[in-house]
Amino acid sequence: MRGATSAKWVVGAVIVAMSATACGGGDTKADGESGGTFRFGITEPTAIDPVNAQESEGIVIARALFTGLYDTSNDGKLIPKLAESGTPSDDGKTWTFKIKAGTKFTNGEPVDAESFVRGWTRVSAKASASDVSYHMADIAGYEDLHSGKSDKFAGLTAVDATTLKVELSIPDFEFVKKTAHSVFSPVPKVAGAGDNKAFNDQPIGNGAFKMTSPWQHNTSITLVRNDDYGLEKAHLAKVEAKILNPANGSTLEYQGFQSGQFDYARMPTPQLTSAKAKYDPQGEWISGDFSGINYLNIFNQNAPFNNPDARKAISYAIDREAIAKGVFQGLQKPASAFLPPSFADVYQAGVCSSCVKQDVAKAKEFAEKGGLKPGTVVNFGYNTGAGHEEWVQAVAQQLKDVLGLDVKLDGKPFKEALATQQDKATSGLWRQAWTADYPTADNFMTPLLSTTGIGEDPATGKAQGDNRGRYSNPEFDKLLVTAKATKDDAARAALYKQAEKLAVDTDQGVIPLWQRTQYRLVNSKKFKNIKMDFYEDPTLAEISLK
Amino acid sequence: MGRYVIRRLGQMVVVLFGATVVLFCCLFVLPGDPVGSLGGDKARDPAVVEQLRERYGLNDPLPVQYGNFVKNLAQGDLGEDFTQRRPVTEILQPKLVNTAELAITAIVIDIVIGLLAGLVAALFRYSFWDVLITLLTTMAVGFPSFVIGMVLQKAFVVELPWFPLISDGSFNSLILPAFTLAILDAALVARLMRGTMLEVLRADYVKTAIAKGLPRRTVLFKHVMRNSIIPVVTYLGISFGTLLGGALITEAIFNWDGIGLALVQAVQQQNNPIIIGVVSFGVAVFVLLNLIVDLLYAVLDPRIRLA
Repeated sequence: MRGATSAKWVVGAVIVAMSATACGGGDTKADGESGGTFRFGITEPTAIDPVNAQESEGIVIARALFTGLYDTSNDGKLIPKLAESGTPSDDGKTWTFKIKAGTKFTNGEPVDAESFVRGWTRVSAKASASDVSYHMADIAGYEDLHSGKSDKFAGLTAVDATTLKVELSIPDFEFVKKTAHSVFSPVPKVAGAGDNKAFNDQPIGNGAFKMTSPWQHNTSITLVRNDDYGLEKAHLAKVEAKILNPANGSTLEYQGFQSGQFDYARMPTPQLTSAKAKYDPQGEWISGDFSGINYLNIFNQNAPFNNPDARKAISYAIDREAIAKGVFQGLQKPASAFLPPSFADVYQAGVCSSCVKQDVAKAKEFAEKGGLKPGTVVNFGYNTGAGHEEWVQAVAQQLKDVLGLDVKLDGKPFKEALATQQDKATSGLWRQAWTADYPTADNFMTPLLSTTGIGEDPATGKAQGDNRGRYSNPEFDKLLVTAKATKDDAARAALYKQAEKLAVDTDQGVIPLWQRTQYRLVNSKKFKNIKMDFYEDPTLAEISLK
Repeated sequence: MGRYVIRRLGQMVVVLFGATVVLFCCLFVLPGDPVGSLGGDKARDPAVVEQLRERYGLNDPLPVQYGNFVKNLAQGDLGEDFTQRRPVTEILQPKLVNTAELAITAIVIDIVIGLLAGLVAALFRYSFWDVLITLLTTMAVGFPSFVIGMVLQKAFVVELPWFPLISDGSFNSLILPAFTLAILDAALVARLMRGTMLEVLRADYVKTAIAKGLPRRTVLFKHVMRNSIIPVVTYLGISFGTLLGGALITEAIFNWDGIGLALVQAVQQQNNPIIIGVVSFGVAVFVLLNLIVDLLYAVLDPRIRLA
């Protein structure tokens, strides 16, 4: 997940660029003028080196600087980049990738199978203490490498210059989709260890863009076109990412766009409507539905929500339509499934039957069955300072009105919020959001709903994983394992659908609320082809002057 | 005098020690693991958490951690921050420079505008200028600084693009945030100056000086100004200290990469090394400024003895 934690999901985050093949809903490539400087704002990333690039702001830069095996289109399709093919073995435990020959890093080193082994090993090495190494946890030998027992990644083999063999510890016929994430980038020999400061601040990559000056922390990051790029070259001569403070980021972006200093901008939520009215007619407004979900985490193992009926009562009591219209001014869409519509092969509209429409009678009926009496105290947690206040209050009010619950809103800053959610004794509801790292159902279901996703620490009882609502159903877990190990796409999709129905409808382990719609302003007077990619970032490699 | 300064500096060390001890205890009783989560509400991989706790000595008992902190501080090392894992000194250095630039510019504006306005208002009491200055200062005091900042930004960045929105380090990008910070203080300085000057102008020694036939200018600068300015110096000293602690709202509005925002963000992320660095610096600045203000008193008023 890329930290869909703030009002980002309303206003959007910024990441980057895919390389120059068409991505997004079947658009045709438009060749425009070459040159120009594209300017936009981001907040200070944690890292731009693929070894630890994690939130959208860091990934946007990492993806511009590095090209991996695959890329992802907005509707979750894989786009081959350096991969000529990716073939699983019949048991789904070994993947063989054929890599395009003859491409180079910007320092002239060749990009071969070895550079992928190098990059992935660097991410998972103990010394790197990488926050994103868990994406590689299913590759054989990860544990040994990550714990420092070994300095080799046992599951990775560079068979020859253009053949990479990946052995997994469990069967996974969708592993190929993970490799679209920037963490799976190849790196040159000069990258050195994960804490090589020179490389961290000015990575040498193989992407459509390169850096000729190091990252000016808290000020700006400048990218220039890589003229030796081995795939389709970018059109823009330069990209300037100005670093803005998170306290005021979207406002600064919006003002910067209005005063002609940015070519791409998010907007503060309250200004979305007026911005749309002004810029949509001029063709400077773009929107897109993305692979994410905003939902209520519901603590499954503690009263009052330790039974499905009580959980359904909550879901039926919420009028998503009214809040979407009122608080979100019609700019967010209610969700009736846990998986996003962009995952076309597994999406089931209305799979969460309690989400489709507010139903007061059913809410009361389920509350009665589930022992959720009027006056029951329900804690409702959210993280403060991220623009959630208004809608959580609206939801709380509906729960009070419909079910007569005594809802206690509990806003906390991040770290404290996390500690509370991890605590075994916590009960009630918590606001949560998730955005996809790669286009697989598994990327939602395993971390958020599987028993392993709870990651309970035996010593403290803390939930260390992302499934902090602690939904746990062995039947569901089995469906996921089976799905991962199913070779046939249609059969696999059917299993995921079944799993989603079980977790989100029958058991109501979580409560879906809104889909993830994003809006941006784009300077289409000067540039062509500004779109958002799968990661909700501008498609830097495809933008060109008009 | 030299002894006095040394004694005061000794006190500063004690104050710093006390402040950092209190801060340490506060930080480590906060709920939540400072290295437990990523940028958002995503939990970190437990193995990585453990590694980071080891690396930063978070598993040691509190006194040991404090001991290490003091030992490193003596070598000018404030450790690494918990998110980007860069040296705190490297992170804070540009922010301190930025904050100091802004604070100094704002204080200069305060002194120039505030003193002049106060002087004019006091000398021409009840004139048109006095009424105008009183009216303007009353209004300035009434406006919160974020309103002033946003209005200035809307007017001179968005509507009339005279100034850059995003600071580029030029003097141009310093003007609006400095004014935003200075307006309120300048108004207060003007009122303070006017009040104390009117009092001093009525004092016997001023009447005597005028009766003696001293030139007006000598009376004004040697007797009146010098005696009126003491409370203003006190106020400016405190104000400058506050400015050096960073100006959160102004920094946010003008994207000024200073100490105020850094501290707020660090608190939100429980990025303890940054918090400790910024606060220690703030305490040191305040103690030093107090000392400078006290020394200035002695210069301005020979009756004040430093002992």
